[in-house]
Amino acid sequence: MDVIITISLLAILVLYLGLFKAAKALLPVTLVGLLVALGLTFNHWDLANNTKSIFSGMLLFNNFSVAFSALAIISTFLILMLSKDYFERISANVAEYYTIILFALTGIIIIASYHNLSMLFIGIEIMSVSLYILTGIKKRDYASNEAALKYFLMGAFSTGFLLFGITLLYGASGSFDLTEIRNYVASSEEISPIFYAGILLSIIGLCFKAGAAPFHFWTPDVYEGAPTLITAFMSTVVKTAVFAAFLRLFYISLSSVTLQEFWVPVLVVLASLSLLIGNITAVYQQHFKRMLAYSSISHVGYLLFALIALSSASDSAVFLYAAAYTIASIIAFAALMVVQKQVGNDSFDNFNGLGRKNPLLALTLTISMLSLAGIPLTAGFIGKFMMFTGALSTYHTALTVFAVLNAIVGVFYYLRVVVAMYFKDAERNELAVPVYFKIVLVVSTLATIIIGVYPGFIADLI
Amino acid sequence: MESITNSIQGVPLNHYILFCAILFSIGVMGVLIRRNAIVIFMSVELMLNAVNLLLTAFSVHHGDASGQVFVFFVMALAAAEVAVGLAIIVMIYRNTSSTDINVLNRLKW
Amino acid sequence: MEAQSTPVSYLPIIFQMIVALGFVVTTMIATHLLGPKRKTKDKLTPFESGIEVIGNARQPFSIKYFLVAILFVLFDIEVIFMYPWAVNFREMGMEGLIEMFIFMGTLLLGFIYIIKKKALDWE
Repeated sequence: MDVIITISLLAILVLYLGLFKAAKALLPVTLVGLLVALGLTFNHWDLANNTKSIFSGMLLFNNFSVAFSALAIISTFLILMLSKDYFERISANVAEYYTIILFALTGIIIIASYHNLSMLFIGIEIMSVSLYILTGIKKRDYASNEAALKYFLMGAFSTGFLLFGITLLYGASGSFDLTEIRNYVASSEEISPIFYAGILLSIIGLCFKAGAAPFHFWTPDVYEGAPTLITAFMSTVVKTAVFAAFLRLFYISLSSVTLQEFWVPVLVVLASLSLLIGNITAVYQQHFKRMLAYSSISHVGYLLFALIALSSASDSAVFLYAAAYTIASIIAFAALMVVQKQVGNDSFDNFNGLGRKNPLLALTLTISMLSLAGIPLTAGFIGKFMMFTGALSTYHTALTVFAVLNAIVGVFYYLRVVVAMYFKDAERNELAVPVYFKIVLVVSTLATIIIGVYPGFIADLI
Repeated sequence: MESITNSIQGVPLNHYILFCAILFSIGVMGVLIRRNAIVIFMSVELMLNAVNLLLTAFSVHHGDASGQVFVFFVMALAAAEVAVGLAIIVMIYRNTSSTDINVLNRLKW
Repeated sequence: MEAQSTPVSYLPIIFQMIVALGFVVTTMIATHLLGPKRKTKDKLTPFESGIEVIGNARQPFSIKYFLVAILFVLFDIEVIFMYPWAVNFREMGMEGLIEMFIFMGTLLLGFIYIIKKKALDWE
């Protein structure tokens, strides 16, 4: 498949560019390569939507995959634009960092387009192993070391669960193919008990990777310890990809009514726990980065709503929510990187008075916070709205009420940084915002508002 | 090859499932209880190997080779994980002279 | 060999293990009981032209060795992908050969990278 091949070749090219000391060319080549890959991705768009699977049924690059791959490539592009001069400050091995990010992206595209559980496993592993390395690239930094070890041990542990789940699904159905598994469920009179165990273990494995409560405990530590650029990558692109994988597995293979009776209650519990734990702990955080880490747990809770109300509309609901969340988070992390670099610390007090000195930075950060909190006229509102309508259409009223209450708590802690920027005065110098950052901030903010005002053009896409 | 398949099929499938579930649980307990990063890592490997064994058993019982091919992929990716994991552990050992995970408690709630 | 095997057919294995373990344990106990014991300090010193021991034998490995070992594991494990190809070599024909060359080529790229980075140099 040309997108996957392009990105892996691009990764190798970048690696060799680094070997031959072409440090100046690394970022431009990576960005151009990503644009080419994006073009190839759109080329796979199929209006009739009856794509055939490729590689003997291993991958199915349908419109769903095109949408999620495009989202992943665009967000990686935006994040890499922030990386100018960032890696150089960490160590001399800059080419390797770009290469590993590109390898992670390859894994992400594989898990957005898998049609066979072996591809799901391979994609998740390519992505995770790359991320273990990226988390620990600050070799002398104690927090980065610790985050890398925690992420690695927890990630390998959860891979074990996912793998055991896949094995049990295979044992019951006799195939790794998603369609074959669906046929097994449809045709057999009595579904083997190990199939149910397989579903449970796969849910545990995927929830670990996505960071849903109660499998979230690694998330805050890893997000805080990892270099901020990598945290941005992990909490946006990776999370989206895991949800694409989640949705694909459940929508294609496990959507029969008898099975839904089994796994919907499990996911309801996980979703409400994620909302509760994510929101309540985020309120008590004094640091911006850690607050974002906890709030990402609560966003996983909202994303799980689409699975609970599984229907043909779930695709676009998850896509819209993920897009809104990703774009808003990229703004937040970009602002965080600016503040961290020049102030050295990311506690809320360091945002005081930013509204007067850096109007652009403060404005974009405000819009991103509003979007994350789900205020109308931003993309985040549309995402939450679609999640809640989906849940209501399947009569999960209590869950929706609970989620709305949690969203109100969310408004409180997201607006804290806005209050700090505009209403708390502090003696401070203007922060220098590089041009690349400005481009990313403006583009993402515009996207947030456009999706918020005209959601139709993206919501009806899939 | 035939005789191997036959002898694997000779043991009832439930025994394999039970045995692999026990092996897997030993691995899980090892991860949860042990404090040394290397031992935790070994427990994770035990979990993966339990899965490999189960995959092979299922593959033979279904008469379908794809399960065994999957085992190859699991082994290859486990090797990649070993490489990365040991590198991380060595990096930590250089900084702290210890592989005990209790030393790693700087990041907290 | 019969397809259906019962727990009884595993009895020989158990006997073999009992005999093997039993032999080891018996010899170890027997030598301890039978052999004469004379503990002197001279026995612990190096023999003849042996050198005096310096420090502890349990020293950390050289990191160079670690790197080589890890790289060995990585490249070693890739061989398993050649087994299925080798078994079906004739059926897969030319196409299979080309695919295997692409695979080996990718590995080779990694190997060139390692050599260029001087990861295999022992100073």
